[in-house]
Amino acid sequence: MKTNQNSRRDFLATSLIASASLVGCATKNPFTAEELPDVKPSGEMVKLLSVDGEIIEVDKAFLKPVPELPAVMNTEAREGITGKKFVMVIDLSRCKSVKKCQTACNHMHHIHPGQNWIKVYPMQEAEHTAPYWQPTTCMHCDEPPCVKVCPVDATFKRKDGIVLIDSDRCIGCRFCMAACPYSTRVFNWEQPVLEKEIAEKPYSCETSVPQKKGTVGKCDFCPDMVRQGNLPHCVSACPNGVFMFGDLLEDTVTNGAETFRFSDLIKDKAGYRLMEDLGTKPSVYYLPPVNRNFPFEKEKGQ
Amino acid sequence: MDKLKENQIIEDLLPQKFGKLGRIWVASLIAVCALGAFAYGRQLYYGLEVTAMRDYVSWGIYISNFVFFVAISLVGSLITAVLRLTNVKWSTPLTRIAEIIAVSAITFASLIIIVDMGRPERFYNLFLHGRLQSPIIWDVIVITTYFFISLLLLYFPLLPDLKILIAFKERNGKWLQKLYVFLGSYWKDKHAQFKITDKAINILAIAIIPVAFSIHTVTSWLFATTYRPGWDSTNFGAYFISGAFLVGAGGVVVAMYIFRKHYKLEKYITDDHFDRMGKVLVMLALLYLYFNVNEFLVPAFKMKKSEEEHLLGLFTGEFAPIFWFAIFTAMFIPIFILLFKKGRKPLPAFIAGVLVVVGSWFKRFLIVTPTLLHPFLPMHDVPANYHHYIPTWEEWAIAGGSLAGALLVITFFARIFPIIPIHETILETESQENEKHF
Amino acid sequence: MKNIFKISLLLFGLIPTFSNAQAIEKKTLVLGVKYYNDNNISQHLVIQAKSKVDGKFQKIGNIPVKVYINNENDKNNFIGTGTTSERGEFLLLIPATAKTAWTKSANQSFVAISAESKLYEEARGEIAITKAKIKMDTADGKIVNAKLFVLTDSIWKPTAGVEMVLTVKRLDGNLNVNETATYTTDTAGAVTAEFKRENLPGDNKGNLIIVANVIDNDAYGNIIAETIVPWGKPLVYTTNYNHRSLFARRGHSPFWLEFLAYGIIAAVWVVIIYLVLLIKKIVKLGLE
Repeated sequence: MKTNQNSRRDFLATSLIASASLVGCATKNPFTAEELPDVKPSGEMVKLLSVDGEIIEVDKAFLKPVPELPAVMNTEAREGITGKKFVMVIDLSRCKSVKKCQTACNHMHHIHPGQNWIKVYPMQEAEHTAPYWQPTTCMHCDEPPCVKVCPVDATFKRKDGIVLIDSDRCIGCRFCMAACPYSTRVFNWEQPVLEKEIAEKPYSCETSVPQKKGTVGKCDFCPDMVRQGNLPHCVSACPNGVFMFGDLLEDTVTNGAETFRFSDLIKDKAGYRLMEDLGTKPSVYYLPPVNRNFPFEKEKGQ
Repeated sequence: MDKLKENQIIEDLLPQKFGKLGRIWVASLIAVCALGAFAYGRQLYYGLEVTAMRDYVSWGIYISNFVFFVAISLVGSLITAVLRLTNVKWSTPLTRIAEIIAVSAITFASLIIIVDMGRPERFYNLFLHGRLQSPIIWDVIVITTYFFISLLLLYFPLLPDLKILIAFKERNGKWLQKLYVFLGSYWKDKHAQFKITDKAINILAIAIIPVAFSIHTVTSWLFATTYRPGWDSTNFGAYFISGAFLVGAGGVVVAMYIFRKHYKLEKYITDDHFDRMGKVLVMLALLYLYFNVNEFLVPAFKMKKSEEEHLLGLFTGEFAPIFWFAIFTAMFIPIFILLFKKGRKPLPAFIAGVLVVVGSWFKRFLIVTPTLLHPFLPMHDVPANYHHYIPTWEEWAIAGGSLAGALLVITFFARIFPIIPIHETILETESQENEKHF
Repeated sequence: MKNIFKISLLLFGLIPTFSNAQAIEKKTLVLGVKYYNDNNISQHLVIQAKSKVDGKFQKIGNIPVKVYINNENDKNNFIGTGTTSERGEFLLLIPATAKTAWTKSANQSFVAISAESKLYEEARGEIAITKAKIKMDTADGKIVNAKLFVLTDSIWKPTAGVEMVLTVKRLDGNLNVNETATYTTDTAGAVTAEFKRENLPGDNKGNLIIVANVIDNDAYGNIIAETIVPWGKPLVYTTNYNHRSLFARRGHSPFWLEFLAYGIIAAVWVVIIYLVLLIKKIVKLGLE
């Protein structure tokens, strides 16, 4: 099923190009900047071939995705993407603790061995209630208790709802870890073991790479991937489509293979959030583990 | 009062050079500090990995030590301010002991919090990027304020004593003389000067109470502003302050006994002082007990699921031995000892004081760690050693080093300045004699 | 393309895996090529590199690849190079230089070749497609029409039996216009769907982009067509980013907190400064 997902990713990338093309249809001049206020023409034109064999000239700036997106500035990373409000839906009925999400996340963020940003909990609330697997990411709360207590703005809430960490700012007091009721934050107790190439990169709040000694790390909803038009690593890594990601303002979430209208999905499947009583207002929604795709098998899951 | 008697008081109370015992004491404290410094060097090099703290127990004995220091520093306000404002005269000889304990404890409280930081070299971020919303910033502000107020409260009553000290040029030696002159050469025993210091001390006595309450209340809020079972309590500020007064008073009793014994101050720190401090301790222990009952009985009555594991862990589980040890040594046994008149003699009172201090240290450990081991979601997907917390030798060495450092500050202070206010003692004796005459 | 991939997978499965002692042995690399027609305006290819690591196919980055149209034998067929990214792929826009080869025939193929390297053997990937495009329009009652045309003997002919999806363009994955997942073109090459996503948020004017899409078709590759419709709900964007709150950034704390905190700090420090001034006064008295 791997190929299927890849094709999805390509599709995502393509549709961005296509969006530039579309404007072209509407205004004769194929790649005008009129409807793309964020993009300024570079003046450098590229000649391309259409399916009819016609040659079209396109300004390089409108070719998306640009091969190498420059890393966003710290100020930009702190503010977030305007006009977006990211949400995640985790369908518990699909999870059998394959933990591909965890592996992909650990790999892409170069997390210290043994530590995890994504945890897959075997849950059973009471003796006679059903056991189920519950993957947790950072909840990216709308009223984040961790951000409340940070003394130096090292962890912050962005416009688009994402809570990030600036490891170049963090003083390592660990108050945020104490404040987080979901235990999603981890600490770099020692110098992270990283390849030289990774370790020498300048830290970016959006990639959370490289992790730094004496600072806190956690799930970041992969805003770097989102900027490139890709899904967070956990979403694309899950073979069972447990994770769905999207923009609340577009009312859509997708796991790559399937796309749902967020409000319908939550309504139809009675979605809920964790620890609602604490008033943290998470951005991660859960679909209850009913009509499950897999039985709960602890040995296999572990 | 005749000059002879006054000279006798001065002679008795002047700071003395370290004897053999004193030197051994100082050397061993320095050794403990050095070990702590070495351990901290390792921590700086390897990171907090050298501690046993991990993602679940993210605060360990550094933070409990911090809370302990803040707690014990509250005694400055209790002895000097509260007793002064209520016109309690017998506490005069104890004020300086209490104030120096306060200053040295608050100093080491701020040091130990830096030790706990993952990136201590970024401490300046607190000033560059400080967020007013964070209780840590509140703590930084109130601790700084309390430090300065305590220094002032130490300094004003010291001025007349400095004049007395300066008079003993030969005895002081070059360096001390320079220090005394620098600090107090302008004090001329003028009536107008006394008027100002009296006023200043009165203002300080009032001002220090809200600030002292703030430091410990805000420290309790570092915990109480989170959701965690065991910390999520509206009782926390009062619970912390009552505990702080108890440990502070216990600390003063211990210091009283040691200074009295070592410097032969029986005339100045009398059995009566122990008797009275013993009564104060009983009252404070009962007060703390009251808040403990509130803190544990109420949630235990409900046994909310999130609290259950935490509470049972304390009552009967893995932390039960430390829990009951702390409850008994910090409260029940001292109360039992000090309720009897014989128990308030210096030696038994000293023992009760030691029990209070030791029990209180463990109590602070229990406030911090067990809560962290009972998060809302079960501990999962972490290495096995993340499930427990047994401090490493580095942590013990650093914590021990900070305690030794605080004692060292107090020791050197007693070497340099009179640990019992000379001037005030003379005044006190005078007024007592006058009373006798009438 | 899928078939090529499957075959190479099969072949690869037959090759015995080597032990560590023979680590010098070069690994087999699999190159995949995908073709995209973007809204009948531009076209591009996506080249992917994979290899088996620990028994599983992993995407391989940093592989330089040369791409040709039709075949690699003619130098004129060369259309570009690229190096696979961390995610094991790269995107190549089909340049104007390919025009001669492209206009020759209705059937085209693209070849990707990576030279032998230190770690990997030489690899070759290929895709063959027939030129096709989608034309889209809309009708009253929120109806979407899309027609698929395939170039047959220099004439664009409607084609039946091809699967197509009709979606609303969204950020990470497109949402079907109604509950039907896929449509199959009829004899007129057409599919028709009713837009049923009532009140779906669009842009600030309520505009939505409808996408007709043939995905990974064995004969035609990926074909995309888009059109704008005013069928959405206008989006009113609000953010509390600049509001004062306990979880806002520095300088954005609630007013009550600022008044309280600064008030207390000011009150206490005025007292401390006053006391320091008192010391100064004592000093002055002493020096008189």
